[in-house]
Amino acid sequence: IETARIFDFEEFPVKDKVTYMYYTGRLEVYNENFLVADQKLTYALMHCCPEREDNKRMILKYLIPVKLSIGILPKQWLLQKYNLVEYSEVVTALRKGDIRLLRNALREHEDRFLRSGVFLVLEKLELQVYQRLIKKIYLLQKQKDPSKAHQVKLESIVKALRWLEMDMDIDEVECIMAILIHKNLTKGYIAHKNKVVVLSKQDPFPKLNGKPVSS
Amino acid sequence: DEKEEGKEAMQQWEDEWDDDDVNDDFSLQLKAELESNSKN
Repeated sequence: IETARIFDFEEFPVKDKVTYMYYTGRLEVYNENFLVADQKLTYALMHCCPEREDNKRMILKYLIPVKLSIGILPKQWLLQKYNLVEYSEVVTALRKGDIRLLRNALREHEDRFLRSGVFLVLEKLELQVYQRLIKKIYLLQKQKDPSKAHQVKLESIVKALRWLEMDMDIDEVECIMAILIHKNLTKGYIAHKNKVVVLSKQDPFPKLNGKPVSS
Repeated sequence: DEKEEGKEAMQQWEDEWDDDDVNDDFSLQLKAELESNSKN
């Protein structure tokens, strides 16, 4: 594949360029180079034969998890049109912050996601779903009492997770919060003694805006 | 033609979805849960 570099890419027939971008794009998904994978698979999708819906479906099977990883959601009609509804619940889980729904969706379609090799990529969406859930807790607190909203008790998160059928103790929740802060999905600090997350008053939940979660 | 393609591509994806809305069912249930005193 690498020898292609000594030729002028533009001189190849479009059909071959699409094939090349599809396969190298897929490789980039496995390497977790989501930005490059996005470029390559988007190129393949834009330039592939418009009549070949099966080809578009094949490309989207990889492009959708890539887009999700950089915080971009596919529209519902796209999933319907190309019969990729196995992603529907994953998308809903991200929108809501419903960690239980994400886990159920991954379990339900495990075979399919493992076969196409995107399972691990989708599993990592958990962090974004946690971010969304904590943000919901924060927004609900803000609605009730804006002056105290930026302090989120770890116990509240434990409670929310228990409601979502995820039994975690306060130490495990603290660990998740530490990861979210480390990966810049949440801005703030953990007041360990008080068992509280103190959120930054400015942009406490930075959006990915087309960038991958920092490693 | 490229404009058309670009337009179609725009309509496939959504990047402004992370809103501040807490009036959906999920948020309302979460709210009830957080406000309840039960440990279950």
